[in-house]
Amino acid sequence: MKKIIIISLFSLWTNFAFAAGTQYDMRVDGLACPFCAYGIEKGFTKTEGVKSVDIDLKNGLVIVKTEEGKTFTEDQLKEIINDTGFTMKSMTEKPI
Amino acid sequence: MNIRSISLIAGGLLSLGVCVSIQAAPITFNTALPVGKDEFILRQQFMLMQSGDDNTGANRDRTEYSSMTAAVYGINSRLSLFGVLPYRDISLSMNDTGQKVNRGSEGIGDAQLFGRYIFQQNNTKGATLRLAAFTGIKIPTGKNDHNDSLGKLPAPVQSGSGSLDGFGGIVITQQTLSYQFDSQISYRLNTEADNFRVGNVFKLDASLQKRAWPDRLGNGVPMYLYGVLESNLVYQGKNKTNGVSDDNSGGTRLFISPGLQIVTRRWIAEGGVQIPVLQSLNGTALEGKYMLRAGIRVNF
Repeated sequence: MKKIIIISLFSLWTNFAFAAGTQYDMRVDGLACPFCAYGIEKGFTKTEGVKSVDIDLKNGLVIVKTEEGKTFTEDQLKEIINDTGFTMKSMTEKPI
Repeated sequence: MNIRSISLIAGGLLSLGVCVSIQAAPITFNTALPVGKDEFILRQQFMLMQSGDDNTGANRDRTEYSSMTAAVYGINSRLSLFGVLPYRDISLSMNDTGQKVNRGSEGIGDAQLFGRYIFQQNNTKGATLRLAAFTGIKIPTGKNDHNDSLGKLPAPVQSGSGSLDGFGGIVITQQTLSYQFDSQISYRLNTEADNFRVGNVFKLDASLQKRAWPDRLGNGVPMYLYGVLESNLVYQGKNKTNGVSDDNSGGTRLFISPGLQIVTRRWIAEGGVQIPVLQSLNGTALEGKYMLRAGIRVNF
């Protein structure tokens, strides 16, 4: 019985762990107007696996949430940001 | 109408001096448009240009309605390609020996194709500084052989120039969360077409856009309302016909343009009025009175 409970709990945990995507919080320099912000949004939304993009102009933040299984390396994020004419200063990631 | 009258009219129109190429920069210049890799911006502007008082007594009155379509594509984060195509409706009326004469043309104007390369960019939190160079050509896509009952229309009333011209310049942009400042210097070298050559043009433009609303930024990407003030200095050399300078053409103009912009993520709506504050024109060249501009830009 104990074994069944442990296995069930383990299955439940792995389902949650791998069903969730990843959230990337990036500090981006150069963001100064709404019209410019769309470039970053487009740069991410055209990438497969991106679920949502939120931008906070005042704090220079770009928050990207991905779908299950989709991850980015720091270099990939930097490249997407650079292609839109901005500069990524820092990045943190966490599971959603 | 006798031959003498036609000659007088033709002479008066040739001395008009309102050069088709004097069009100072619109509310924020095309060359300052921000565009990233694989990004596409479409800009549509509508303009009304009205000439001012005529000091020759011929009561020349020139009005131009035009529509300008500009498309920009980002090759990469530094290099962008621009295409600009105008549509023009020009009318001119004047008195000749007591008779009022009306002449005009309508059609596609001369297109512009140019590239811009950002060679210096400095991004900081909530701000950016860009320095770019641009160069391109004006292509004679407009007709320069419109005719009416009096014969071929003079150059200032044609929708096109017939000439292939080159231009280039430098543009700088400083942008923060509160304001944007653009400035550009440019030069256009005009060539001859059908024995007529428009004087070369030197321009110095500056534009300040100040966020008027919201007063304080909240979270997210809010809509902005910008107040805009531009200044445009234009120097044009004398036109030449058959190699002979027209002493009643060219000169220096300084414009001031107050305006407004509504800025969102996907589109910008803008409008303003361009007023000449200084016009030092050669001879009997016709002065401008005002120019109204309104337009929209969309991000794709």
